[in-house]
Amino acid sequence: MKKYLLFLLACIVMMLTACSDDEETKDESVFRTVYSGEVKTLNYLKTSETNEFAVAANLVDGLIEYDKYGIVQPGLAESWETNEDASVWTFRLRKGVKWVDHEGNEVAEVTAKDFVDGLHYVLDAKNESSTAWIATVVKNGNAFYEGEITDFSQVGVKALDEYTLEYTLEGPTPYFLSMLNYVCFFPVYGEFLAEKGDSFGTSKENLLYNGSYILTEFEPQNKRVLTKNPTYWDHENVLIDKIEYKYNKEAATVAPELFLRGEVDEAAIPTAILDDWFKDSEKKELIRQSRSNFYSYFYALNFNPQFDAEYEPENWKIAVNNKNFRKSLFHALDRVSAMLTDEPYNPESLLNNTITPKNFVDIDGVDYTQLEPLAKFTNNDSFNPDLALEYKEKAMAELQGKATFPVKVLMPYNSGMPDWANRSQVIEQQMENLLGKDYIDIIVYAGPSTGFLGEVRRPGKFAFMEVNWGPDYADPSTYTDPFTIGGTYNKPELAEGYTDTNGQPIYENMVNKAKAAIDFAERYELFAEAEAFLIEEAFVVPYKVGGTGYVASKLNPFDAQYSPFGVTMEKFKGQKLLDKPMNNEEFKEAKAQWEKERAEALAKASQ
Amino acid sequence: MGLYSEEIRNITDKSSKQLFEFAVADENNAEKIGYSNYSYWRSTWKSFLKNKVAVSLLILVIAIVLFVLIQPYLPNQKSPTEIYLDPETGYQARNVPPNEEFWFGTNSIGQDLWSRIWAGTRTSLFIGVVVAIVEAIIGITIGALWGYSRKLEAPLTHAYNVIENIPTTIVLILMSLILRPSITTIIVAMCITGWVEMARFIRNQIVILRDREYNLASRTLGTPSYRIILKNLLPYLISIIMLRMSLAVPYAIGAEVFLTYIGLGLPVSEPSLGNLINEGRVLMMSPDLRYQLLFPSIVLSVITISFYIIGNSFADAADPKNHV
Amino acid sequence: MLGYIVKRLLQSVVTLFVIITVVFFLLRLLPEEGYLGAAADKMTPEQQEVYLTNLGLRDPILVQLGNFYLDLLRGDLGKSITYRTDVPVIDIIADKIVYSFAFGVAAVALSIIVGVPLGIFMAQFKGRWLDRLGTGYIVFIVAVPSMVYYLLIQVYITDFLNLPMLFNEDKPITWVLPLISLSLGPIASYAMWMRRYMVDELNKDYIKLARAKGVKERTIMFRHVMRNAFIPLAQYLPATILLTITGSIYIESLYSIPGMGGLLVDAIQRQDNPVVQALVLLFSSLGIIGLFLGDVAMALVDPRIKFGKGESVR
Repeated sequence: MKKYLLFLLACIVMMLTACSDDEETKDESVFRTVYSGEVKTLNYLKTSETNEFAVAANLVDGLIEYDKYGIVQPGLAESWETNEDASVWTFRLRKGVKWVDHEGNEVAEVTAKDFVDGLHYVLDAKNESSTAWIATVVKNGNAFYEGEITDFSQVGVKALDEYTLEYTLEGPTPYFLSMLNYVCFFPVYGEFLAEKGDSFGTSKENLLYNGSYILTEFEPQNKRVLTKNPTYWDHENVLIDKIEYKYNKEAATVAPELFLRGEVDEAAIPTAILDDWFKDSEKKELIRQSRSNFYSYFYALNFNPQFDAEYEPENWKIAVNNKNFRKSLFHALDRVSAMLTDEPYNPESLLNNTITPKNFVDIDGVDYTQLEPLAKFTNNDSFNPDLALEYKEKAMAELQGKATFPVKVLMPYNSGMPDWANRSQVIEQQMENLLGKDYIDIIVYAGPSTGFLGEVRRPGKFAFMEVNWGPDYADPSTYTDPFTIGGTYNKPELAEGYTDTNGQPIYENMVNKAKAAIDFAERYELFAEAEAFLIEEAFVVPYKVGGTGYVASKLNPFDAQYSPFGVTMEKFKGQKLLDKPMNNEEFKEAKAQWEKERAEALAKASQ
Repeated sequence: MGLYSEEIRNITDKSSKQLFEFAVADENNAEKIGYSNYSYWRSTWKSFLKNKVAVSLLILVIAIVLFVLIQPYLPNQKSPTEIYLDPETGYQARNVPPNEEFWFGTNSIGQDLWSRIWAGTRTSLFIGVVVAIVEAIIGITIGALWGYSRKLEAPLTHAYNVIENIPTTIVLILMSLILRPSITTIIVAMCITGWVEMARFIRNQIVILRDREYNLASRTLGTPSYRIILKNLLPYLISIIMLRMSLAVPYAIGAEVFLTYIGLGLPVSEPSLGNLINEGRVLMMSPDLRYQLLFPSIVLSVITISFYIIGNSFADAADPKNHV
Repeated sequence: MLGYIVKRLLQSVVTLFVIITVVFFLLRLLPEEGYLGAAADKMTPEQQEVYLTNLGLRDPILVQLGNFYLDLLRGDLGKSITYRTDVPVIDIIADKIVYSFAFGVAAVALSIIVGVPLGIFMAQFKGRWLDRLGTGYIVFIVAVPSMVYYLLIQVYITDFLNLPMLFNEDKPITWVLPLISLSLGPIASYAMWMRRYMVDELNKDYIKLARAKGVKERTIMFRHVMRNAFIPLAQYLPATILLTITGSIYIESLYSIPGMGGLLVDAIQRQDNPVVQALVLLFSSLGIIGLFLGDVAMALVDPRIKFGKGESVR
């Protein structure tokens, strides 16, 4: 017995002494973090997932990039021009940019043909690229994807010479530059791609780099190291020398502790333990809000209910076609109370009163959400108990004898998302208490955790549900897609009493009119009107923007390149390590400062 | 020898009347000999009662079960799903530490943990008990047929080899993905894999027992098969069946915790021990909030250990070999 | 003996075939949405259709099954779709298996080295403090949810000893805690099993006889009791060792060990059918091989067992 114990003890002691802590001397600036979602591929031409293009954004450069205020800057293209109606775009490329391999050896020069090869790959359906749908903006792109055309030279992308590239688009697209921020318009060295075939992007060896970093280590589900690319064309703006990612599936649980011990430089702080951090005077200084993104979350009222008879879809249909009923729900939703489930400390900061979030686009320094038709929604909270009860009375009077009360309101959530589950319970109780259980009966329903949207939202198996949408390019039309005909959200085209004289839904006509306008001022005004119509008629209840949560981080988010969509925001270029993390007060100050500077920069840029 | 030889020699000298007496047939005595007051269940119960620890745990488990059933009807109980609002702010009473109002505190959206824990225990125990019973019924039926019928032996053995070698995790996950997340789904997923072990145990025991002499005798007397299985074989298996059933309960609860961990458990709106522990796991690092993990863990531990010990001592007690 | 082995092998192949086919069909019941991932919202229905067709999911199901088996015969397990796109499944598994196997074997060894003697001592000192201590330990391990104490061990011990929290291949000190955590459960079950076995065995008549004959206690222990105890151990050991490669999902997640734990769960959730099928094939084969080796080992250890008589079902 004793022998065993001694033996064990000896083993432990030996192991303890065997490894002395060999602390590396730090001359270079290293950023370390843990992550729990592994990338499934490095093939940037194929992926559409944020964590995957987050890697690609630092390894490969596209034609353009943005500065930290969101103004377009030259990237691999030094300059560009467009024709009258913005349907043909010509780019002149930067000379002397090199493709290098994972050891930094030069392989080739980046030329216009690389962009043509990249697009060819994306639009070839057999490559299963999930960003091909963006690339179909290029003339004949969709036809090529669906196999109606087999000759790629008919697709609207041409290398006029080694350093000149021309895109011909399906129609006028004034916001085309912003689309270049997507991975599907990234270059690829054609010979290398052909040589690697299917294995392109499967390992650090099977990828070429022209961006600010080189992938020097890549072991999926273990670690990934990005090292500064010494041949990068803009290398003096790359301030962090090395980025080390360590995989940890339990990152949500262990990352905060790792940060406290100085083993990582950034950690997300889950909502559940926020209270603890805020009550601790030392830990409080380490955390701040994370920057919101441009995903828009809203509650959709479904005009095409297809759920089971036990939840009375016919009755819901009658009720939802009554404007007063819709408005009673619209004003009854206490969004702050709902928001507490994932942002308990600054719930108002994430609320979004329109579908299009703030700071998305602007006209002459005026934000889109402050345009005349939208301003009254932007500046007022939709939650108003008195109005809600007023509309309830009206709705009950009008629906008397037509609909049965209480109206059953089926509200599904994804059972894989605990915060959403909590939120659903909060909302159920809050709205039922306000409007009365004689009026509505909200049924919280746990949907499947995989394939949720395909099982619930797209087939219309909901009455009232939180949904979201992310922008694809810098134009308000990107936020109209869910609501136009063919959309798979709440089918507003089926709303009764909203058909225009030409037989089309009113909203559809408004959007088409806006899409046809080329002048920015007029275009934005028309889109704002269409969006205001959706909200005014209470087809939707705007809720919040994405990107919730708190982080402890040694990065200053306002150093980073900024754009509402695409890969730019994921770049480390321009960012530097702080000595200590920002606290939330500093974050708010920096944010105010940044917003001020941004307004100036935008005004300057539009002159 | 010498001692008795005299007597034997003298036997003939004595009259037969002196050697033997006629016995009078006595109804009462006949009854006594033919009747034994040995009762299987009473003996089992008696020897079980000798194990003090197991008895107290049994009382504890019964108390928990009873409490869980009547708890919602007791006075001053809160609803497990209602969200309580802080009277000062009007918003959810989040993460309130245990106090007079909320005996076990509240969770991150202001639900009362005391009632959630009992509701969760109710759900988890229900899952565990149903799974144990279903497994026992299917397992015993198939195990008995498999062991007793020679025709079914080969196909069932093959089926067993297949089912046994499909990793349990795969079946659990696939079932939870294909069906909706609900109590029924979890029960179905666990039963699909769970009965196999029971069937194998029963089968092995029956193979050992079926060719014993008393069964051979029974068969030659023309007793039908089902009667042999029910009357001759199954009583021998009671101890094994009881042990496996009582272990199935904590196992099913554990499996529910695992499924919740990999994100396929019950929806959060349906409290269960798995849910409560999984929610509390993140809070381990926060000393102030740790109570949210502590209470459900204790309940889970008590239930698990009780079933283990009760099961083992009951199995010992139910073994006829220990009755003499 | 040889005939028996051949028969067993043939049976195993049939079993494997059935298992894989069953899982193949089960996987086809999963919603198609899962294959599209995040892009589903943005693609038009036509584009989705093209995408799914290219994945081969639009072929008749029997054709899909046939293709799968043809590839398998050629030794091709296919390429991952959604876990690591286009990487051969074999490579993915090969990368990870090493870690899980190393930790698994070490943990089995540690559990036996610690657990079996613990059980023996507990039996010998039945009712005394060592027995109580051991029982307390076993009760703790059985009762407390493992995810709770794993996390406690990681956080507090690394803090106390000032160690890095995460696994690092180059620092052996970081291997210790995951290994110990991994062994806690098996130690308890070996100790429990061994103690029960010893207590039962020591009450048997032949031991009483041996004692009555005056055989030394030590000899009884080593020559009689323990020898018999190792027979069932020998039967289960091969399967136990082989199946350690499946890894421990929770420990590997906590310590960032790049092993197999969680691979199966991830692959199923991402609906990466080739990976799932390969894993099922691997796990089932190992299970079957393990049982087979166990039977052989038992026959070698236990002179009472002869091959070929009666079929073997455990």
